[in-house]
Amino acid sequence: MKPLTGFSLLRPPTLVGALEMMSTLEHAQPIAGGTDIIPTFRDLGSKPVHLIDLGLIEELNGIIEEDGKILIGPTTTHSQIIASKVIENFAPALHDASRWIGSVQIRNRGTIGGNLCNASPAADSVPPLLVHGAEAHICSLEEGHWIPLLELFKGPKMTVLEPNEILMGLRFPAIAGIGSSFQRIGRRKGFTLSVVNAAVYVERNGDELKEARIALGSVAPTPIRAPGVEDKVRGKKMSEELIDEASAACVEVASPIDDVRGTAEYRKDMTAVLVKRALHEAWRRAGGEL
Amino acid sequence: MVNFDLNGAHISFEVPTTMTLLDMLRIELGVTSVKKGCEQGECGACTVLIDGYPMTSCIILAPQVEGRHVYTIDGLADDPLMKELREAFMENGAVQCGFCTPGMLLSAYALLRDNKRPSEEEVKTAIEGNICRCTGYVTIIESILDAAERIAPD
Repeated sequence: MKPLTGFSLLRPPTLVGALEMMSTLEHAQPIAGGTDIIPTFRDLGSKPVHLIDLGLIEELNGIIEEDGKILIGPTTTHSQIIASKVIENFAPALHDASRWIGSVQIRNRGTIGGNLCNASPAADSVPPLLVHGAEAHICSLEEGHWIPLLELFKGPKMTVLEPNEILMGLRFPAIAGIGSSFQRIGRRKGFTLSVVNAAVYVERNGDELKEARIALGSVAPTPIRAPGVEDKVRGKKMSEELIDEASAACVEVASPIDDVRGTAEYRKDMTAVLVKRALHEAWRRAGGEL
Repeated sequence: MVNFDLNGAHISFEVPTTMTLLDMLRIELGVTSVKKGCEQGECGACTVLIDGYPMTSCIILAPQVEGRHVYTIDGLADDPLMKELREAFMENGAVQCGFCTPGMLLSAYALLRDNKRPSEEEVKTAIEGNICRCTGYVTIIESILDAAERIAPD
């Protein structure tokens, strides 16, 4: 087979070092686990880039609960997320989703920051983070700012990151007693991309659906929220009928395409199925009954 | 220059930054138990343990193992758990062409090290990143469950 070509690898030991490289080098590309990027260098003709390996920068790795927020470093692997009790308790949907990403080998290597910046419309970690209200910390050598995670995505495989910027971290509120769930359909069970995925977040007040958030993946050029549906069900008394109504309404929000993994029609139908499953499970996890 | 431990021995090696860990192991260091299959991180034939965890060496660059501990089946030849796995694979006929076997053994090893009595589902999850194209999955799964029973009888 062909050797890898078209890049050089730099391994800055500090964050400042990495940001300096990002702002001074032409065609600088951050790399974490490399599970998405490295295979692309088998194709000759890709333009030469400097890969800036973030793997040595300790402050970019790990999960912290602090001042009512969960902070996740971008080089945190999917396996670290699965092993985290903090994530299991406060963001069960993200815990669910991380277990479906890749294989054991990929989860041990691939990172949440990489999954986001790769910007696949089917990325499994995105819908859970969206419903948990995640924000992304974007930094260059000059300045840093937080944006709602949804704004990170510009299109399939495209983010709003400028050439000198990196994703520095993620944060979302740590709220006890909430429920969330991630559901997906793939062409088989293990080690496959999602044909459709969905995440739901609920807050419960007795049998009232105090807060509801719904996110869908692989049904539009980027992962999306369903704010119209959320508004319709928020504050209502929870019931099977309400779940059916919300699930059916999500079909209208989806604008999928036909591709090798599935047809647009199938994706629309499955959107309702997955939202229904996720609402049930999230409500159950929030301690609710039906 | 990359400095790392391979099967318990320290290695210092001059390597181009575009070389994969897989190519360094096979071509430069002669460790041919690590197989080259898809080169996309999907088939698992090139699985190695890095600091104890299975990863696919075809999509890791050689300089990225600086300071890490890399194990292949060669370094675990006398390990009691690996011995049980190897024997279970042989007794159950879990090896046909053998190409997937080193990677399967390493994935199974990491599973049983951390989970002495896995369920069949957990075994399947542990080897979901290792493709066998002789399709001997049934005997492979049985072998791993057998080895688990031998190392931790009820």
